[in-house]
Amino acid sequence: MTDREPKPRLPPTALVSTAVVAAGVLLWMFVSRGWLVVAGLGAFGPGILRELGLLSDHDEFQRRAARRAGYHAYLIGGFAAIAVLSAIEWGGGAVDESAEWIRFIVVVLWLTWLSSTLLTFWGPQKTAARVLTAFGAFWAVFVVATLIGDAVSMGPDPELLLGVAVGIGLLTPFFGLAWTARRWPHATGLCLLAASAIIFLVFGMRRANFEWSAVVMRDTLLLGPLLVSGLALLFGWGAEETTPEENRRAAGRSRSRDQVLR
Amino acid sequence: MPTRGEEVRSDVRRFRRRHDLTQEELGDRVGVTRQTIISIEGGRYNPSVGLALRLAEALGVTVEELFRLSPEEER
Repeated sequence: MTDREPKPRLPPTALVSTAVVAAGVLLWMFVSRGWLVVAGLGAFGPGILRELGLLSDHDEFQRRAARRAGYHAYLIGGFAAIAVLSAIEWGGGAVDESAEWIRFIVVVLWLTWLSSTLLTFWGPQKTAARVLTAFGAFWAVFVVATLIGDAVSMGPDPELLLGVAVGIGLLTPFFGLAWTARRWPHATGLCLLAASAIIFLVFGMRRANFEWSAVVMRDTLLLGPLLVSGLALLFGWGAEETTPEENRRAAGRSRSRDQVLR
Repeated sequence: MPTRGEEVRSDVRRFRRRHDLTQEELGDRVGVTRQTIISIEGGRYNPSVGLALRLAEALGVTVEELFRLSPEEER
């Protein structure tokens, strides 16, 4: 009989991640609440490593199942978070710190879903180019609207020319990097990571004026797309289903078969 | 609700049995888990072109012999 049941085996990654989760929960219970992060590393770490291409213990069916489950988690988690947020705000009360965090979770879910979808459909270079173009266009509308507002309120003023120059100066990097993303992806990826770090440091100076959760959300909205685009360009994210290793193996097999046929 | 992907029929089980292979042995030969072979044989998963080629090679047949469209799709 060829369909005999083999003894079930727990894969090594599952063993390690289960042990880390258990250790995290024990630390959380008996040492300090902050140690819950260890359980988080055990639960989400392997998946993150797989998506980064640093762990390849799943075959294509397992990857598809994980992605399907992830999409379901996104839909249900996102809807549940929005429903809770909506209920809090509908109550008419002031939005407290916990609601800010729910907004942050919704933004993270949505940004992750959007980035993943764009990278899957367009690949890293086209995605980065379009994200940067969108950022540039958004910034252009903001600059033009501000300049029109100033012109109406102040009338003709030499300072407006300076405003136009500064606005164009701020627009150029977005469109410039959108252009270079397709030609020099690695260099552009490094530039985007550097730009993200600079923006983070510059905006970090105003941190004291805001609630921390609101700052985290704003930074995520502002920095998230730039950071993801930079990392995607550097690491070539966006390849679907088959891993580079599988593609190499398939190419090698196909070449050897061609040689046999000749 | 049936999807377009479910209209591909698989003969992997028939050819695997002909070679007297277990699902695990076939999985090991093509580099996937036993669960993946079970899902392919059960029609719940349509493999990638690369995996279909590897399966065909392992079973000594062509991809067309292993997989075919169901009658509704054959026009």
